[in-house]
Amino acid sequence: MLKSLKSITFGVFAAALMAGAAHADVTVYTAGPQSLIDKLSAGFTKQTGIKVSVFQATTGKVMARIEAEAANPVVDVLVSASWDTATDFAKRGWLVKYSSPNAAKVPDFLKTDSAVAQGISALGIAWNTKSGTPKPTEWADLTKKEYKDLVNIPDPAQSGSSFELTAALAGQDNFKLFNDLKANGAIIAGANADALNPVLQGAKAAVFGAVDYITLASKAKGESIDVIFPASGTVIAPRPAMILNWSKNQDDAKKFIDYMLSDEGQKMVADEMLMPARTDIPANRPLISDLKLLKYDTATVYGKRKETLAEITKIYCGK
Amino acid sequence: MSTKANGSVGGAAPAAWLAIAGLILVVAIPFLAVVLQGIFPNLGQGSFSSPFSSLVSTLNDSALIGMAGNTILLGCCVVAASALVAVPLGVFRALYRIPLAPLWDVLLLVPFMIPPYIATLGWIMTLQPRGYLQQLVGFNLAPFLFSLFGMTLVMAFNTFPVVYFAVSRTVEAVGARYADVGRVFGATPARAFWRITLPLSAPGLAASLMLVFAAAIEEYGTPAALGRRAGFQVLVTGIDLRITDWPIDLPGAAILSILLVSMSLFTFLLQRWILARRSYQTVGGKPTAKDKRPLGKIKMPVLIAFAVVSFLATGVPLLAILATALSRTISGGLAFDNISFNNFILVFSNSAGAVGALVNSFSLGIGTALITGLIGVMAAYTVVKTKMRGRIAIDTLTIIPNALPGIVVAVGLILAWNMPWLPATPYNTAFILLLAYCCILLPQPVRYTTAAFQQIGDNLEAAARVFGAGSLTAFRRILLPLVFPSLASAMLLVFALASRELVASVVIAPVGMQTIATFIWRQFEQGSIGLGMAMAFIAILITTLLPLILLMLLRRSGLVAE
Repeated sequence: MLKSLKSITFGVFAAALMAGAAHADVTVYTAGPQSLIDKLSAGFTKQTGIKVSVFQATTGKVMARIEAEAANPVVDVLVSASWDTATDFAKRGWLVKYSSPNAAKVPDFLKTDSAVAQGISALGIAWNTKSGTPKPTEWADLTKKEYKDLVNIPDPAQSGSSFELTAALAGQDNFKLFNDLKANGAIIAGANADALNPVLQGAKAAVFGAVDYITLASKAKGESIDVIFPASGTVIAPRPAMILNWSKNQDDAKKFIDYMLSDEGQKMVADEMLMPARTDIPANRPLISDLKLLKYDTATVYGKRKETLAEITKIYCGK
Repeated sequence: MSTKANGSVGGAAPAAWLAIAGLILVVAIPFLAVVLQGIFPNLGQGSFSSPFSSLVSTLNDSALIGMAGNTILLGCCVVAASALVAVPLGVFRALYRIPLAPLWDVLLLVPFMIPPYIATLGWIMTLQPRGYLQQLVGFNLAPFLFSLFGMTLVMAFNTFPVVYFAVSRTVEAVGARYADVGRVFGATPARAFWRITLPLSAPGLAASLMLVFAAAIEEYGTPAALGRRAGFQVLVTGIDLRITDWPIDLPGAAILSILLVSMSLFTFLLQRWILARRSYQTVGGKPTAKDKRPLGKIKMPVLIAFAVVSFLATGVPLLAILATALSRTISGGLAFDNISFNNFILVFSNSAGAVGALVNSFSLGIGTALITGLIGVMAAYTVVKTKMRGRIAIDTLTIIPNALPGIVVAVGLILAWNMPWLPATPYNTAFILLLAYCCILLPQPVRYTTAAFQQIGDNLEAAARVFGAGSLTAFRRILLPLVFPSLASAMLLVFALASRELVASVVIAPVGMQTIATFIWRQFEQGSIGLGMAMAFIAILITTLLPLILLMLLRRSGLVAE
């Protein structure tokens, strides 16, 4: 009984302590990866003495929190995994205009007057090298009979980049590729991580449109997996960082953006196997200049988002 | 609210007021915020404009009927499967001397401690093509897994312990004594069981089945992982999609949640109606001899049944979790040269804040167990043992969280506690997680203690009062000790469930704070499945051992009888 009392006291005490620690100078909401934001905030605090509070989740959950908090928002800096967020928030007038001096080496298409890319991921084919299937080189290869029932597609409703790939490819041939994939037994398998896990174990051979940095990080850990960027083209997902106009710490928030785009900050981005936003930072992986990008108009594909998703649902979940 | 009508026994006022205050803080405020959000779509911006505008579009969604139907279907299947597995085992455990009984109890307790999403992932990694089963014996069962059948089994193996422990405890309390009376008057053993023992155990059975139903319709992880592939959408996955898919549709999610809550309320009213038709008081003042019968000829089959169920419910998920945690790489599979303790070393060296997450979750778990236990016993006492007006309102409040999906509780709490005019707020501190867990888990202690109170005869408290005990003394010395076993097990359950809660925690965790579940979830999101599984294994171990040690200490101090 005494023991339980002790642990109770400890619990209450710990809860009180944690409550006190929750307030800090810059609050950053980020759509992953956790290890990147941990390193960035530690480095930033070391350099400037400004503390960073972090909330990390998927883009959708970060947005849900911002939406629910709208009456009394607390977030200063937002790093989303979908460029669409930056466009939408700018339209709502929620963003602070800021051009970081460190953004000079960021290509123009990766920055606006209120948002700048932290890093970029691209989509590719994640392929299990021990799956006993031939190495795919093109999206259409996955409709061949060697990959019968062995392909996972991340849910375009749950991942912004996956949606853009779907919309861009479906726009080229009016969903023929997706019909062929379905005919070959491909399935929609949840968000990005849910789609990759079965490929690691070998239940599936390939992910059609996997987020590259997660797959490359798995490869670096020794998993028998590789990423292939089809020569016909793929999509990239720049991860926009922005300052919210309700922030009471805008100067500190600007310093955080500066640090994120500094040599040190961008090297941390590269270490996560993401492409750094600045072109003058080296990375141990294919960069934008090595990839062929699919051509599509973002505004148009997002304008038809509902229709595209409905068509995909019809193909893959229709019974 | 009036308290004058407690004509039977006991001064109920303090208990009732405590229960009401707690329930308003923990349940009513977030629920009201959700309801208001459903009515006023712009509530998040602090505006009450265009009321009811979301209602029509949400309810007109053609997918809604399918989702609602699937939700009820899944709930019923899980209840049926849980009852099928748990009731026979529970009855045998209560009435017969089962060899190794404490071992089976522990093994059947573990599924509680395995977070459902982890168990599901364990099953997927075991049964999918080239999964652990295929690596061991050469075939896989993927077609069975990704179906309603698979979903039902995985969820039933996770929830049936609720029924097993409720049945074994209540049947034991009813005891063989009442059935023996039946036997004396000429009933066959089977007839005595069906006509006496089983009906008298109905409160526990019905309460536990209702908890299973509510848990099944509220569960997110398993339908999301298994159901989507089978084209099986339920309300919770629909709610989650509305909340996490940009543009966010909070009003739509709120409306679907209210629908879910009404389903749960309906089953609750059904249960109430069944129980209200007669008395289930079996705990009188007379001593009962708890002599159990030997199993005789059926010893082997019963033992095999216990072993098979324990293996499927506890063995398979735990082994899959352990195998994954010990793998250097997932693609390396089950091979000796692929075994590595690296993931466990990473957890203990506090990689990515693992140790902090463990401390946070266990502190919150203990806090939640104490608070819900206190509110729960007060609310149950008020509802069962007083004739206070408005006690149905209290009972209803305790049932609402049962069907509120975790993510909706989280949104409700943000809406309620992040209003700019509040002078002080728990939001963005650990206390908001405490509030969320208390809200989600309050039904557990309430349902368990309600069932316990229902079996205690009123004459016990009356006798104490006759001999001069005050109402407080009677409650403390007579009633509380009698319900304490139920209360204690409910609180231990709350501790286990709170320390692994995922869905609400992900949305509402204060900035910079991790819990066990959010840690695991982040590792999965980033492809570090092994590290996530190592953390899961350690958490399961601790949440299983800690309550067992506590129970042992309590037993030694004589507070809980065997």
